[in-house]
Amino acid sequence: MRMRTRRARIHAGTLLAAALLFACSRGETEVRSAWRGTLLSEPVEKPDFTLADTDGKPFRFREATAGQLTLLFFGYTNCPDICPLHMASLATVRRGLPFAMKNRIRVVFVTTDPARDTPQVMRVWLDQFDPDFVGLRGDSAYVARLQNSLGMASAILGPRGADGRYSVGHAAQVLAFTPDGRAHLQYPFGTRQEDWAHDLPKLLEATW
Amino acid sequence: MQWWCAAVGVPWSWTWQPYPGVWLFMLVLAAAYLHIRRRAQARGARIPPARTASFAAGWLLLWIALDWPVGALGAGYLASLHMAQFILIGVAAPPLLILGLPRRTPAAPAGRASRVLTHPIVALGVFTAIVTGTHLPAVTDALMPAQLGSFVIDTLWLLAGILFWWPLLIETGRTWFTEPVRIAYLFANMVFMTAPGAMITFSDLPIYATYELAPPIPGFSSIEDQRLAGVGMRFGGSTIVFVAISILFLRWNRAEEKLMASEQASAGRPDESAQRDG
Repeated sequence: MRMRTRRARIHAGTLLAAALLFACSRGETEVRSAWRGTLLSEPVEKPDFTLADTDGKPFRFREATAGQLTLLFFGYTNCPDICPLHMASLATVRRGLPFAMKNRIRVVFVTTDPARDTPQVMRVWLDQFDPDFVGLRGDSAYVARLQNSLGMASAILGPRGADGRYSVGHAAQVLAFTPDGRAHLQYPFGTRQEDWAHDLPKLLEATW
Repeated sequence: MQWWCAAVGVPWSWTWQPYPGVWLFMLVLAAAYLHIRRRAQARGARIPPARTASFAAGWLLLWIALDWPVGALGAGYLASLHMAQFILIGVAAPPLLILGLPRRTPAAPAGRASRVLTHPIVALGVFTAIVTGTHLPAVTDALMPAQLGSFVIDTLWLLAGILFWWPLLIETGRTWFTEPVRIAYLFANMVFMTAPGAMITFSDLPIYATYELAPPIPGFSSIEDQRLAGVGMRFGGSTIVFVAISILFLRWNRAEEKLMASEQASAGRPDESAQRDG
């Protein structure tokens, strides 16, 4: 009788522990699966930097995007895939949002190839996606330090081909700075339009 | 070495790419046809040039669909070309290939299993299942990046197309499969294809990661590409099926007219004999 009672207690305890573990991991999974982007282990403060926009005017990033959902991406216009795909996805999804939401979202593109990406080149390239997208350009070393401060690897210029063309290896993720001035999520290459459509409205209203 | 077209994720280039797996497949198909022809001729069958031309046309359409550039673009860059591949491989080429076979091709060339598979209801069901299944985003995205996966999809389309067209074009001895029933069979196919076509056309966002995340073709967004794919599926496939319906309808109409004419002729004969006796 005592053995049976003891065995029953052990079984009950095991079940309870398993249930608690399941509940905890489900909770964690629920937080993770609530977002399609990748949660950062530590939020990143919105950096305070100034670069020239495509009109040649200084763009004070923190000041100009205060209170907005700001999607920051480092790339270059001769990029064959990652950059145009990110920009196209963001443009398509942003266009489909209600007017009030759309106006609270800012997409900021910083070039990692200032030699080829003149302000005019950047403006023409960005306009094919969305004329509201901001393009910024600055000194390569400054942009590299900025990327490092955000936990990103700085861009690396590839070797020049016989035709003078070269690729630029760069971080492929978009950092999403929510209206509280911090980035809590990043979106790697491979983020689909349905993922942006899911997360953008939530990012606008999320409290952290 | 790239044997078969698959989604490889590199920017598109107009530099020609060899796909030896495709050439091997086409060679085997041609060799199989020549073997079937020789056997039929050895049994005394005469194969009109029109049949050979029909097989050649189907073979050519298949080759265009599978090889560079259509095969490569369809496998890894554009959903619209992937759909064009389906129309060519699964709808356009099979009837031409079948019409190229000798006149007395057995209804069930591979025994009881093929007799079951080529039963109109089974064939229609298998065709619908394969087409719907291979156009599901999860399936497309899982299979297209691998050469073997892409080969499986292409082969399934060809098989589905052959099964679908077989009972229409090869005499199977099913007396109930008359012209009106065949027309209904084709019409049912058009109706069943509405669902996958609608899924592709009317989605607000791209549904295939393979094509959404492929190195982009400038000036052509992934959603525009997808909508073109849906329209292509709906109208490309329907056009071919509609042509087949029209041919069957004309044949049925002609047969009915002949039957009426012979009935009228038989009804007229007693009057003639009465006149002669009178």
